[in-house]
Amino acid sequence: MALCQKYNLPYKMQEFLFFILAIICVGAVLAMILTKNPAYSALWLVLAFLGIAGIFGLLDAPFIAAIQIIIYAGAIMVLFIFVIMMIDVRKGLSPEKKKWTLFLSGFLGLVLLFELITAATGVFSQLKTVGTENIGSPAGLGRLLFTDFLYPFEITSVLIIAALVGAIVLAKKKENE
Amino acid sequence: MNSLYALAPLSIIVLASIIILLLEVFLKKENKNYLGYISVFFLTACFIFCFMSWGKDYSYFNGSLLLDNFALFFFMILTIGTLLIILMSLNYISLMDANHGEFFALLLLALSGMFIMISSTDFLVIFLGLEVLSISSYALAGLKKKDEQSSEASVKYFLLGSFASAFLVFGLAFLFGAFKTTDILGIIDGFNKPTELGLLAIFGLGMVIISFAFKIAFVPFHMWTPDVYQGSPTPVTAFFSVGPKAVGFVVLIRILYPYWHSLFDSNVLFTILWIVSALTMIFGNLIALRQTNVKRILAYSSIAHAGYILVGILAMDNASCVFYLTVYLFMNIGAFTAITAMTKKGKEYVELEDYAGAGFNHPWIGAAFAVFLFSLAGFPPLGGFLAKFYVFAAAVKEGLISLVVIGILASLVSVYYYLRIVVFMYMHRSAGKLDIQQENPALLIVLFLCLYGVLQLGIFPGNILVFIRDAVGSLPF
Repeated sequence: MALCQKYNLPYKMQEFLFFILAIICVGAVLAMILTKNPAYSALWLVLAFLGIAGIFGLLDAPFIAAIQIIIYAGAIMVLFIFVIMMIDVRKGLSPEKKKWTLFLSGFLGLVLLFELITAATGVFSQLKTVGTENIGSPAGLGRLLFTDFLYPFEITSVLIIAALVGAIVLAKKKENE
Repeated sequence: MNSLYALAPLSIIVLASIIILLLEVFLKKENKNYLGYISVFFLTACFIFCFMSWGKDYSYFNGSLLLDNFALFFFMILTIGTLLIILMSLNYISLMDANHGEFFALLLLALSGMFIMISSTDFLVIFLGLEVLSISSYALAGLKKKDEQSSEASVKYFLLGSFASAFLVFGLAFLFGAFKTTDILGIIDGFNKPTELGLLAIFGLGMVIISFAFKIAFVPFHMWTPDVYQGSPTPVTAFFSVGPKAVGFVVLIRILYPYWHSLFDSNVLFTILWIVSALTMIFGNLIALRQTNVKRILAYSSIAHAGYILVGILAMDNASCVFYLTVYLFMNIGAFTAITAMTKKGKEYVELEDYAGAGFNHPWIGAAFAVFLFSLAGFPPLGGFLAKFYVFAAAVKEGLISLVVIGILASLVSVYYYLRIVVFMYMHRSAGKLDIQQENPALLIVLFLCLYGVLQLGIFPGNILVFIRDAVGSLPF
């Protein structure tokens, strides 16, 4: 409810936004599972990620919302789509393999459901309001990055140089041949 | 002492790699060797700085960068190792159609990753250092153009290395969940206080150790080693066999040494590491018997050596481990230098048959190679003998008799495959197809320096041992 207090919005407004975003998320995920074409599935997943980013925004965590869009909806989805483009997914699985995957995914789904229920029953009683402590604010994060975590932050720049040089070295190979 | 000087070695190395990348663009193809000399200059500067700051305990960033003597000692030997590898590869790079600038820059970046890992007790920093090291290593492994094995090595190393990193992060998440800190000392403190989160923490610690076992190549996690070592360019193989291994052991010592002394019951971990050590010594040596590729033989031998060093860790004698790593650096780089020498344009001689008669046709390289192999096998008066002796003596003192028996039997087995190379070099008739173009002065200097190191450490180890005791003494427990 922090957002409402901050921007002086009616309480109902936030609830209304939440339900719209939640419906978008669940609907997009359902559509992702039900579409046959994997490229469309990937696009539906992007929509679901955007919905989740919106929910983070409602919780007054703008930084996490931005990261959600940049990393998940941006970088990771590009990877997904690259893979879909590179391998031939049209062919699909052979019928006997399909039976196996159906069985296995059903089983794993049940296991996950059980795990989620046990985890959730323990946690629901302890749920508190989140978002009051400015968890995801860019200012707080930036302050931490440049004080307590300055050294890891600087090392990341070395890491990026190494990754860039390495990627160029490996990718350049083909031009020379 | 809180001082900006603590950043100097790391900055020197990163600066050197950036300068080399810039100069690469402007230098003409026939002048590319200058890049090697420039990196040697910076490495020497780094070495001198480390030597000057011995005992000063510089630290910065609230202690997450800490140059205690232990870190400085490894800074110095890894700097020497990288310097030797750069010198030995000056000619090799052009023979293999690779680019000097990229090779040296990536090697220096990998070295900076190792520096980061060695000089910190914060797991977050150690993880980032590991990533810097690994990402440069993946590129280094695939540096040989138009070579399928090299690309295979790169991909394999990348996939398994990513798994290892994932294990580390996973374990870190558990440790952080249990103790709310990523600092090694905080984690050890947490282990000393019994909590209901103990199981969670043990699981996390196990994951962390598994990830380093990947990097060091202990036996259930060694599968990538032979393929990666075989496919990578030979100087890079020398680097892989020495650098990541030493760093992995540094982190293991930093975690495990206080842990052995803690109140927490460490029997389970001890037993598991005991078994891992025995398996590593047995399997590494037995599988090496059947190899015919010299690089693969040395790959399995490096696995076996990791097992011997783990005996030292189990015996809680860090000085002997550090001494072993120092000797191992010289003898292994020396052996790989000899293999690097057996190269001509676009072709490496790595099969055992290629070495027939090499001892007579190329007396200097052959003799030096034989000495390094004798040292690896552990013959006195060479460094390899003393290293094994210290490790096993420490283990006997701690009562790990059966482990020592396994170790000695395993190293007896190893004599066979080391001597097999020597037999091929000196007792087989030359087939006359070995025409190498590699007898350049830089390579001979490296051979000479490694020979000097192996003999000095084997005959007069006193000076170095004083340094090592000083270094180990600076550990916080």
